[in-house]
Amino acid sequence: MPDPSGFDAAHPPTTHIVATVNGRKVARTVPIHYRVIDFVREELKLTGNKEGCGAGECGTCSMFVDGTLIKSCLAPVQKIHGRTVETVDDLDADQGMTVIQRAFHKCGASQCGYCIPGMVMAATSTLRKRPRASLDEIKEGLGGNICRCTGYQKILDAVAMARDVLNGTRPETDLEEAATDSFIGSRTRRLDAPAKVTGAIKYAADLWMPNMLHMQVLRSPHPHARIQRLDVGEARAMPGVECVLTCDDVPGVDNFGVFIEDQPIMARGMVRYVGEGIAAVVAETADIAREAVKRIRVTYDLLPGVFDPFEAMKEGAPQLHGFAPGNICKHTRIRKGDVEAGLGEADLVVQETYRTSALEHAYLEPEAGLAYLEPDGCVTVMSPSQNITHHRHMLARILGRPINKVRMIMSTVGGGFGGKEDMLYQGMLALAAIRTRRPVRYVFTREESIAASAKRHPFSIDYTMGLRRGGLIVATRMIMVSDGGAYAMSTPGVMNKSAILGPGPYTIPNVWVDAIGVYTNNTPSGAFRAFGAFQSEFATESHLDLCAERLGMDPAQLRRLNLMQDGATTHTRQPLDRVAATACLDAALAAARWDPGVPHREARGEPARIDLGGPGTRAPCTLGLGTMATDKETT
Amino acid sequence: MLTFDRYVTATTLDEAFDALQATPGARLVAGATDLLPWAREGRAGDVHLPALVDVGAIPALTAVTGEDGVLRIGAATSIAACERHPLLLRDAGLLARCAVWFADDQIREQATLGGNLVNASPAGDTLPALLAMNARVVLAARDGAGIRERAMPLADFITGPGRTRLGNNEILVRIDCDAVPGHGGAFEKVGHRRSLVISTVCLAVLARLEPARRTLADVRIAIGAVGPVPERLGDAETALRGQRPTPAAIREAAVLAADRVRSRSRQEYRREVLVNFVERGLVAALEQCGLAVQRLPQEIVHA
Repeated sequence: MPDPSGFDAAHPPTTHIVATVNGRKVARTVPIHYRVIDFVREELKLTGNKEGCGAGECGTCSMFVDGTLIKSCLAPVQKIHGRTVETVDDLDADQGMTVIQRAFHKCGASQCGYCIPGMVMAATSTLRKRPRASLDEIKEGLGGNICRCTGYQKILDAVAMARDVLNGTRPETDLEEAATDSFIGSRTRRLDAPAKVTGAIKYAADLWMPNMLHMQVLRSPHPHARIQRLDVGEARAMPGVECVLTCDDVPGVDNFGVFIEDQPIMARGMVRYVGEGIAAVVAETADIAREAVKRIRVTYDLLPGVFDPFEAMKEGAPQLHGFAPGNICKHTRIRKGDVEAGLGEADLVVQETYRTSALEHAYLEPEAGLAYLEPDGCVTVMSPSQNITHHRHMLARILGRPINKVRMIMSTVGGGFGGKEDMLYQGMLALAAIRTRRPVRYVFTREESIAASAKRHPFSIDYTMGLRRGGLIVATRMIMVSDGGAYAMSTPGVMNKSAILGPGPYTIPNVWVDAIGVYTNNTPSGAFRAFGAFQSEFATESHLDLCAERLGMDPAQLRRLNLMQDGATTHTRQPLDRVAATACLDAALAAARWDPGVPHREARGEPARIDLGGPGTRAPCTLGLGTMATDKETT
Repeated sequence: MLTFDRYVTATTLDEAFDALQATPGARLVAGATDLLPWAREGRAGDVHLPALVDVGAIPALTAVTGEDGVLRIGAATSIAACERHPLLLRDAGLLARCAVWFADDQIREQATLGGNLVNASPAGDTLPALLAMNARVVLAARDGAGIRERAMPLADFITGPGRTRLGNNEILVRIDCDAVPGHGGAFEKVGHRRSLVISTVCLAVLARLEPARRTLADVRIAIGAVGPVPERLGDAETALRGQRPTPAAIREAAVLAADRVRSRSRQEYRREVLVNFVERGLVAALEQCGLAVQRLPQEIVHA
């Protein structure tokens, strides 16, 4: 029976597409709603080009159609009927690597590698159109492709190098690996780079196994609710649906977490944030699974939520977890000396509050995974996990299996930044493979990734610092309150690190630090580059600038005065043998051509800084005007 | 996700009308670059349509011709074509300046001028440029065995965010606008980043000097993204037309733009940017006419 929406996922209307793809004629009958990217990846299994956003923003799917580079996630498959398609998979025409790919390899222009196939395609398009492209034109040509970890400089270097080699103004030998004695300061070959620049490397979403099933997950639209009734009958009865999983299907201990075991793999009677998984559907196609998810009926008993950590700590606030009174997830304290006495002795006391926001990791590879059973019954999960050993331990407990019957394989991580450290979906996948005895793949959409995955902890930092007139710090008090979201995930670790590193690499006799991670009904906060240190260090360094201004002092000098030296003891009483902080600061100041003085001196009517701009600094962007001027105007 | 029962690649206008007639509720597509992101979570969500009718390959819709000072631009002309079509470069250089800021290289190849108009986004990049060129949209409908066309000014066509006067069985076939070979043009845009960015403020300016090169014979300023619909700055145009474009006159006209900001958010920021854009755009357009005008120095205020 067709769905009321009119779409019968089990029997979608089809279309016949004939096209030339990478020099080979192909003729296939595919679902009529396929996009070009679906045709190439799912039908032809050419997985060199990736899908990062599905909305034309990231460029991982860039392909040539009749020689014109387009975003293949924006094009209905009918757009390639009778046309010629080139993907990154065969760009080298079976010759190994193109000059552009070799230049990417040589320049180290691949890190996670997920954006690189798209980048290579955009670079190829740019140099085909304009063999002598200027740097501005290269930037413009690559403007539709996003990288999140390489940093664009190496990519731009690579395209410029390829351009010069192709034009013969630079010898091809420059693309070869330089023989050096030292790894330090030299371009060293990355073992996985050739596979990344050619698109040959497989990420989890590129994996395919015979007889494979597809998973989709029902997610909560409510931040805080009790699940009164969960009816999966209609979904389960749909043709093509292999199984529907809920928390009732978990055989072992459904309570996991890196630091605090507070999380079920799917909501167990309660939902605590928008996007929390409630049930998982496994079906013959992802489309059927999606349709089946819509037929799961859930009755919620809505509960008041709490969305601010300060509110969550108040008496009478909704409590998220029975074991955490006051919604306190983690309270880390550092006490050294007597802060009150220290502040009393100070000539200057500066108080300020700093806030940071939640941040999305936005790795280019959305979460994905493939789970299957080995012939010996060992369940295997391949996913871009940044913490596979821990995930394996947690999985064994959830699945109620001995650890030797659980295997985690870390697939190539298309960017993680900490966001793939906390386990999110691997449990559902493993369960699905065990239940169906077939391989099961699950690929997040970008929207799902943003809704369900952990964010950087937002902090509110109340900072008080006491200093001597000459600039010596005598006391620091930091009270940090952070929104940990609905589940602990990495919150305890993040609190610890923000506290330990918070006061910075400075010698301070009196230190008081409180780092409090609080449960709320927001998306869970988790690991993110710097793991908490970023937030507290931001406050400390901002605060030192503020203090320098109040003291009428050069901010670099204020730091030099207070930096730890050889033999220092950290705020948590670890003795340090050697400390290179001052040398590091001096080197940075020299490199930046630091112009000493009080911060914000232009506002005081004093002369402007002289260390901004100048040789070696990046020129401002002139795109648009830049590319206009070169050839378009003169046509 | 977008699903549908039929996909018709029309090669003539008649085929497109046949498909529209046969399938009520069918949706027209050309470049389709906005359609697939629209049918995703957070926007329209899962959408099922009876049919998509692709008009992107109909030759009549991609033709660009011009005579007697009027440019006739097929609605399915790609944004990229604005950057390289010889006739458009000669007679509508402003469109190329606008195209450079539109999405990215790859989307410009697919996206079409007509699509941008039909979407009627308040931040649609081509809208101010076409308004400045006094664009009229030509809408075709089937009338018995023949095809009946009606035309209306672009300003009347767009009635609100996402809303136009396009009828159910009509197809936007063409955009007619002034050829402006002798005008200097400028397009300004600001957003959060360089490529693929939705405008926070965008602006198009056209200017032409009298033969004696002392006074402004024509000046047209159109703004986008600062209110529900893009619009012309009639008062600033009137204030400048026939006048000598002195730095003070330009500043005075630019300040008039401030009260046109009717966006729902970031009004103060948009006002400041818009006024500066009008001033900078006029200076840049005049520079192309061979007249160098200095902008008045501005007082720098530090917070």
